[in-house]
Amino acid sequence: MRILLLGLGCVLANAQAPVSFTKEIAPLLASKCTGCHAKAPVMAGLDLRTRESAIKGGQHGPAIVPGDAAASHLYRRLTGQEQPQMPFGGRLADSEIALVKKWIDSGAAWDGTLETKSESANAVFTERQKKYWAFQPVAKATVPAGAKPQRNPVDAFLHAKLAEKRMQPNPPADRVTLLRRASLDLTGLPPTPEEVQEFVSDRSATPFEKVVDRLLASPHYGERWGRHWLDLARYADSNGFKSDEPRPNIWRYRDYVIDAFNSDKPYDQFIREQIAGDELYPHDKNARIAVAFNRHFTEETNQPVIELRRQEILNDITDTVGSVFLGLTFGCARCHDHKFDPILHKDYYRLQAFFANIREDDHLNLLAGDPLQTYLRQRAVWEEKTKEIRTGMQALTTPVAKAKSDFYKIRFSEGTKVALAADLARRTPLQQLLAIKAMPQITYQERALARELKGEQKKQYAELEAELKKFDSLKPSEPPEAQTIIDHSSDAPKTHVLAAGAWDAPREEVQPGFLSILNPGNPKISPLPAINSTGRRTVLANWLADSKNPLPARVMVNRIWHYHFGRGIADSPSDLGMMGDRPSNQPLLDYLAATFQENGWSVKKMHRLIMLSDAYQRSSDGRAESSKADPDNKLLWRYDRHRLEGEAIRDSMLLASGRLNGKMGGPGVHPPLPPGTVPAKYGGWKAEEDPAEANRRSVYIFEKRIMVCPMFDAFDAPNPQESCARRFRTVIPSQSLMLMNDQLVLEWSQSLAARVLNDAGLSAAQQVDRAYRIALSRPPNEREREQVLAYMNEQTELIRERLGRNEKVPMPEKMPVGVAPERVAAFAGFCHVLLNSNEFLYMN
Amino acid sequence: MNSRLRHHWNVASRREFFTRAGSGLAGLALADLLAASPADPLAAKAPHHPARAKSVIFLFMEGGPSQVDTFDPKPLLTKLHGQPLPPSIRKPSQTSRGTADNTLMASPRTWKQYGQSGAWVSDWYKHVGEHVDDLAIIRSCWADGINHVGSVCQMNTGSVLAGRPSLGAWSTYGLGTANKNLPSFVVLTDDQDPLGGSNNWNSGFLPALYQGTQFRRGDTPILDLKPPTGISDQQQRNELGLLRKLNEMWSENKQDDTELDARIRSYELAYQMQSAGAEAVDLTKESEATRKLYGMDEAATSVFGTNCLLARRLVERGVRFVELYCGSGSGWDAHNNIEANHSKWCRASDKPIAGLLADLKSRGMLQDTLLVWGGEFGRTPFNESSDGRDHNPWGFTMWMAGGGVKGGRSVGSTDEIGLRAADRPVHVHDIHATMLWLMGLDHLRLTFQHHGRAERPTVSAGEVVKEIFT
Repeated sequence: MRILLLGLGCVLANAQAPVSFTKEIAPLLASKCTGCHAKAPVMAGLDLRTRESAIKGGQHGPAIVPGDAAASHLYRRLTGQEQPQMPFGGRLADSEIALVKKWIDSGAAWDGTLETKSESANAVFTERQKKYWAFQPVAKATVPAGAKPQRNPVDAFLHAKLAEKRMQPNPPADRVTLLRRASLDLTGLPPTPEEVQEFVSDRSATPFEKVVDRLLASPHYGERWGRHWLDLARYADSNGFKSDEPRPNIWRYRDYVIDAFNSDKPYDQFIREQIAGDELYPHDKNARIAVAFNRHFTEETNQPVIELRRQEILNDITDTVGSVFLGLTFGCARCHDHKFDPILHKDYYRLQAFFANIREDDHLNLLAGDPLQTYLRQRAVWEEKTKEIRTGMQALTTPVAKAKSDFYKIRFSEGTKVALAADLARRTPLQQLLAIKAMPQITYQERALARELKGEQKKQYAELEAELKKFDSLKPSEPPEAQTIIDHSSDAPKTHVLAAGAWDAPREEVQPGFLSILNPGNPKISPLPAINSTGRRTVLANWLADSKNPLPARVMVNRIWHYHFGRGIADSPSDLGMMGDRPSNQPLLDYLAATFQENGWSVKKMHRLIMLSDAYQRSSDGRAESSKADPDNKLLWRYDRHRLEGEAIRDSMLLASGRLNGKMGGPGVHPPLPPGTVPAKYGGWKAEEDPAEANRRSVYIFEKRIMVCPMFDAFDAPNPQESCARRFRTVIPSQSLMLMNDQLVLEWSQSLAARVLNDAGLSAAQQVDRAYRIALSRPPNEREREQVLAYMNEQTELIRERLGRNEKVPMPEKMPVGVAPERVAAFAGFCHVLLNSNEFLYMN
Repeated sequence: MNSRLRHHWNVASRREFFTRAGSGLAGLALADLLAASPADPLAAKAPHHPARAKSVIFLFMEGGPSQVDTFDPKPLLTKLHGQPLPPSIRKPSQTSRGTADNTLMASPRTWKQYGQSGAWVSDWYKHVGEHVDDLAIIRSCWADGINHVGSVCQMNTGSVLAGRPSLGAWSTYGLGTANKNLPSFVVLTDDQDPLGGSNNWNSGFLPALYQGTQFRRGDTPILDLKPPTGISDQQQRNELGLLRKLNEMWSENKQDDTELDARIRSYELAYQMQSAGAEAVDLTKESEATRKLYGMDEAATSVFGTNCLLARRLVERGVRFVELYCGSGSGWDAHNNIEANHSKWCRASDKPIAGLLADLKSRGMLQDTLLVWGGEFGRTPFNESSDGRDHNPWGFTMWMAGGGVKGGRSVGSTDEIGLRAADRPVHVHDIHATMLWLMGLDHLRLTFQHHGRAERPTVSAGEVVKEIFT
């Protein structure tokens, strides 16, 4: 009887047969659900290992209501009736969902056990994880051969997909649009009218190639593309947290990045220097500055639990290195095995262990060779001659320092207190790091201490100070310094897996190591006692820059593509993992990654390859048929129009106004803030006295963690608490308020107006043309010109009346000669309109 | 909006555009202008369950008010004054100032029972005491951080490390805006910023349109709200007229690009905001009696009183979340001379809060406006510097009123000296879950994909404190 039924079951599989838990449901649960809903920590409190636990459900209620699929959360999640839809990263097939429905409706029989992966020791990773595209070696995809040969391999790959859908790409953009696009893209500045003229009249065979090469050679290129990298590096000029103290010399890292892009530093080298420049090139000051990539963590300078602070910093570095270079979200693995990507809990700490012995070096002396020797000699002389005086001064302040430090010290955590109390020579590697990190909290500036002296001591100190001053002429000026990261010694503290990520819950000890799925062994690390370093980061740097590592090249070419087109081939540039977006054209991505490596990791060559494609040069116009077939433009049948970032908008305005100060590098500058911004004593700043300094490019504006510059804040600049791979592009009225009403925007408009009106011999219509050419790279068409002239008449009349009533109307700082004031103000208003126009604000 | 909103929006996608074509100066709906779009991210959205509170006013006493001197009387503390912690109470292993070995310090306050509920309130909060039957007092709050900046950050965002969205941003994300020409989430401060500044009202990984807008003091509450000096209204309108025409001409062959259209319209909204923003903060129309009710006639209470009145006006105009700092910049941080410090700040806030409660009630607004009072933590029962108190994240008091909260109740307790939460501990995440619940949002379902995780306001914890509204 049983045998007979089984046989029938096969025949009737699609009709009345009961669903088999063991054969049909259990495998589905095991492969799609129990990764998260069986293994601790159980997601959403839902444990799917037994029928009872499934019925009991989790934080959203019972997952299964036997007999009623429609009321079961499990079923509703699978269908998407409840969000987020499960399983993450890929809906089940309709037939599978139907199977689950049938099973629940028929009572959810659970006649068997559920084998969960986590219970089998060997299968650490699923097949799906092992076969996931991003972990496969980069293989140079063959360029597809199309019906008509493409000039650029990029187009061949894109064309293949377009041809599949029988879609026609857009024709090329006109030359003015193209030049504007390329200039804004590579330098963050629009072309000058002269550059437009040159390109439009170039009859040579390769005019656009010349443009690309010219722009890549411009120093403004590094300022633009360096800014992209600074987003990733969570760069800022201040500490964050309560006091948000400035980091006075961190800007050297910013200049390093700009220079690296301008000099087309090979990307593998760029990686090596930022991870381990101090170990690999100890005598190269630039490489040592580069390691400040790991110095951009936010800092709480009054945290009494130094162990916690250290752990937070290490977490920040681990997360950042993971997302920036590997394009993976390591953060999840801080507390447990990553639920989606093959990143084990211990992998998190294996990566972190490379950084276990780092500490800040905020006074890296940048002098070298003779100047360094001279400095040291002069310094020694001054120290020798003033030794007695300084000893006397210190004798007066030391008791004050001790009292202050004794008073403060008691607040430190137990471990920190023990570390500080331990004999210098006997401190463990960890204690040494804790003590170093604690010291600034109990170290005081001599001058501040002296202020607390009273009576006779105060007098004595003042006398000694006056005496010391007499030797000022012998004292060499302070050397240039950098803020960066070094290893404290060649002997690192141990690293443990931390339960739930808590610093005080250490579990098994781990050694530095790479992602288990890519390389399960522990790498060989040789300490570098000669330079007092563990040698750990050298090994990590070499692995990250290794052409056999499948991730870094893919991640970087995808980023480059993202910045060129406004979105990546995979649209989640810092997450190529399973929760990220799949590449829209993986063969193209792999081709670019392989080519990138073949070309010596040259970023500029990658720009060239991409920008010289037809895809980059297409018009951005909409076309009904194509829009219907591919509304999201996933196949790149056109160029995606997108808004400029706040920095590029400001810089373009400054350029049009004629005020842009092209000076490169140096400490961050402070342009005026709109009235009402938080005052300097509470986190804002005082504007530069020299207005030219305030008109530097945006990348040089001092970046404060607790106050993002208002103009950039309005335009979605990231708050540099963490790495940002992609900025939002919102449309909000505060942007319009800023562009309409900000005093600086008005002044820039006035400057542009004065610049045009000062150009003698232009007719009214020619003046309009000139302003158009400066701001929008083209003359107005007839209808536009009419509108502007009509506005000019009306506005001039209005302002004339206002001036007649003795009302105060804002005028440019330098009035153009021989033009009526009402016309100047009206023309400034027109220029203001140009700088507010969509055409000015968008990459078209 | 697609509920599985990505943390990185597809720029090219026209279909998705409306999820980005924000609005809001952090909260200004384009809904009426983009009527064709059902998916404006700030359009009012259906809550998860019927909301009890339409708006929230968070009265943030920054710096940490002392629970044992305000709402949590401890007779044993008085008895043990001058003695070390009793052995029955575990010493905190870590304090902010290393004060755990210091002796206990009694509260010198006089206490009185108020209202029908008979809840005890100290003489520092006698005006608020008169409203005690409207309050649900939670005496068992606890938090994670021992430093201000992290704790202020946690009370706003759930995390002691900056970078997560604030509760106001989450609620705007979840509910959209209820007004057309003001932000949906507004922050009011004294003359300085709270520690950590805008990190406390940031949208974190949510899009910037959900972030809070700090209203500045005076008649220009929003940066660049007014045209530059000397530009007349007509002059500005002439410019905007030209801008519109030029933009429309440029868009003629770009009809499919709705983002350009939204930008054109955002100028009209910005123009309207210039007057709406100024009107919202114009207190000249308020009666003398109202000003008095809020204590605006006295120097000691006028700053916070003004902000309380502003909060009511903003809520009236559909602002969903108003956060109101008292002592911004750590004012309540009484490490020494708590007598002088708390006298000042309690005085500054007592009458204005009582006025706000009375005013909301008389206008019938209290029933759907949730008031939350508290700081980032409380203060220790043991002394610091003999006459001050150290930070206490282990046990402190917050209260809620209005917005569906059942008044005259209390939840939880601290131990006998007021050091740690004892019965029914309520963590910051629980406070957040409760506030969201009253606004109609389930903190477990309010999620946003970020770095591969469905992030939610309560990180990975949180439980609704149902006792205060059921």
